[in-house]
Amino acid sequence: MSTLAKLFGLAPQFFPPYFSFGYLKALREPVVETLTMAAGGMAIALVVGLICGVWAGARLPGGRLIYAALAALRSIPDLTLAILCVIVVGIGHSAGMVALALFYTAAIGKIFADLFLSADQNPVTALRSTGASRLSVAFFGLIPLRLRDILSYGCYEFESAVRASVVIGAVGAGGLGTEIVGAINALDYRRTTTLILLLVVLIALIDLLARLLKHRPKLVGFIFPLMLIAVWAYRPPIQSVSHSATTIAGMFPPMLPEGALAKLPKLLLETVEIAVGGTLLAILAALPLGLCAARNLSPALISAPARRVLELLRSVPEVVWGLIFVSALGVGPQIGIIALAMHTAGSMGRLYAESFENIEFSPVRAVTATGAPVLSVATFAFIPLALPPLAIHALFRFEWNIRAATILGIIGAGGLGGALYNAQQLFHYPEMMSYLLMIGVLVGSVDFLSGRLRRHWKLSAVALDDGAID
Amino acid sequence: MVDSNSVVEIQDLTVRFGKAEPVLNRLSLRVARGERVAVVGPSGAGKTTLFRSINGFARAESGRILVQRSLAAPPEDVTELRGAALRRLRSRIGVISQRHDLVEALAVYQNVMAGALGRWSALRALRFLFLPSAGELDEAAAALREVGLEHKLRVRTESLSGGEHQRVAIARALVQRPVLLIADEPVASLDPDRAEQVLALLSGLAEKRQVTLLCSLHQPALAEQFFDRVVEIRHGEVVDDRAPRRDSYPLNRLSHDPVPFAARFSA
Repeated sequence: MSTLAKLFGLAPQFFPPYFSFGYLKALREPVVETLTMAAGGMAIALVVGLICGVWAGARLPGGRLIYAALAALRSIPDLTLAILCVIVVGIGHSAGMVALALFYTAAIGKIFADLFLSADQNPVTALRSTGASRLSVAFFGLIPLRLRDILSYGCYEFESAVRASVVIGAVGAGGLGTEIVGAINALDYRRTTTLILLLVVLIALIDLLARLLKHRPKLVGFIFPLMLIAVWAYRPPIQSVSHSATTIAGMFPPMLPEGALAKLPKLLLETVEIAVGGTLLAILAALPLGLCAARNLSPALISAPARRVLELLRSVPEVVWGLIFVSALGVGPQIGIIALAMHTAGSMGRLYAESFENIEFSPVRAVTATGAPVLSVATFAFIPLALPPLAIHALFRFEWNIRAATILGIIGAGGLGGALYNAQQLFHYPEMMSYLLMIGVLVGSVDFLSGRLRRHWKLSAVALDDGAID
Repeated sequence: MVDSNSVVEIQDLTVRFGKAEPVLNRLSLRVARGERVAVVGPSGAGKTTLFRSINGFARAESGRILVQRSLAAPPEDVTELRGAALRRLRSRIGVISQRHDLVEALAVYQNVMAGALGRWSALRALRFLFLPSAGELDEAAAALREVGLEHKLRVRTESLSGGEHQRVAIARALVQRPVLLIADEPVASLDPDRAEQVLALLSGLAEKRQVTLLCSLHQPALAEQFFDRVVEIRHGEVVDDRAPRRDSYPLNRLSHDPVPFAARFSA
């Protein structure tokens, strides 16, 4: 509890945010850097991801292999990928763009493949029965059938790339992330608040752009060339190719030093502990917040402010929460748990509110009509109806949080992420690679188990909304 | 008029899904060139599976399905075809199904020209989507003229009615320059009037173009009216194979319209 008390004691130091004209002007550069990084990374990811998605989704030869590769790449958390890219490409925005491109190629490719695989089979079969090749079927059937979803997921991923580009700035890829780390390390909390507000505004603007795109898809023709310019501007220098080849070669074979093997279970346990603790704590907060924010259950007087609270919580990435807490309270897994819970509560609260709003109310009314007391109505109608979506959101979130837990480890919460970061700082690349592979295995197995659980509970219907709100 | 050459010859075809009872049980059927055959029988009898095995979507456990892709080509056994060879065969078999199987997000002419995908490269298909040539648009218009929907050339497909939907599907099949048309319950989701119109169109086009037509139906009356031959399937076997009994189904059983409906389409 003293941790929490310290936390609240710290809060006033963040206000008021620092707004001098000179400072804001100086921030232009990191903002542009962050946006260019995100735009460039997304341009690459969209093109490559679409190709991979079509390839896997149209079940072309080797499609399964591509799908597996995408899934594997996706199981490496973005910040971890960024560390790898900073090592390989060198410190700076090029590394950031490459990391984003890799991570979002995997994310987009896999989502698009899933979209195509789940497309309405009737028109697809009809096209195949004309003797069309699988690629032609993709052009005439899969892509037109899914165009709307492609657009909206593309926009959503762009938004999340902006957020991620801030985060990966924290490991030396430049932009707003580097600024935030700098401000926090200098214990300059007022500037930190300014930067976070800036981030919130940026993301809101991107959200606006995304909504505009949904209504006028033709704008893509205007925006995409701009994104290609960003790719060109931040292209990695050619001479780095040979350098990166030797660096990557130096990471293999992965190896652990003496005694590290014995520490491994503890590290694993710590990471899982952060993810489990963060998720559980978030559920505890998200349930009442979600109930308050559900517009069909709460009056506007309560639901509107509840929504603002949720927005605030989730617009600050886990890593930024983590950086703040680490600077204020020191390192340790409990920091990771709180940081993770803050952001997760924001995301899940919103999803929970939506789930409550989407509940079919006629069964609830039917039970009420039997004259049952409120508590019985809740037990027999409301909770059983709301439970499946709540469970599925929690599961998806847990999958995501395993990744986030390793990332939080990097900034001081310990566990596998911490070990990975320490190895990287000491240039022990084979050791780093071992931790990286371990993270991949951990994330992969949690995804697998959670997938099995969802299928067992027949919850896969909503599966495509995977992390729809991050 | 009916060529003695058979377009489809099915020999002892058995299809089974999983370990259950076979859906098709040593079924044999010969269809001559230009013949219009109605396939009737209760649902679950195996009609759809029969059609799906003719273009290689349902895999045979045993038996042969010989299909002649063109007048010059030798019969090919569908059960042995894979990949490009199977696609080449499919490109000449038009399929019209009960379900709405057009891509609603595309324009009508794009859906119609999907019938040409079997002979186009993927690159040409992509080019056509963005830059259709005048010749290609003419071909689409010609096919649509045959089904009476020329004016819908550039309309978005989602705005079509159920009957128009099936007509566009027929136009798409025509673009395939088919030797064989397979229609699986093409009128199941249409009202009786529209159903007659669509069947009359299908049957008329098959006759005009000397295309073999295989069509499954729920309504026996329609089967007797529009086809040269009625084949009944039960439990995956042919139980009846005969000429239609036109006289036993007077026109007034099909519609309350006193004008014989064949006359309606001769104009």
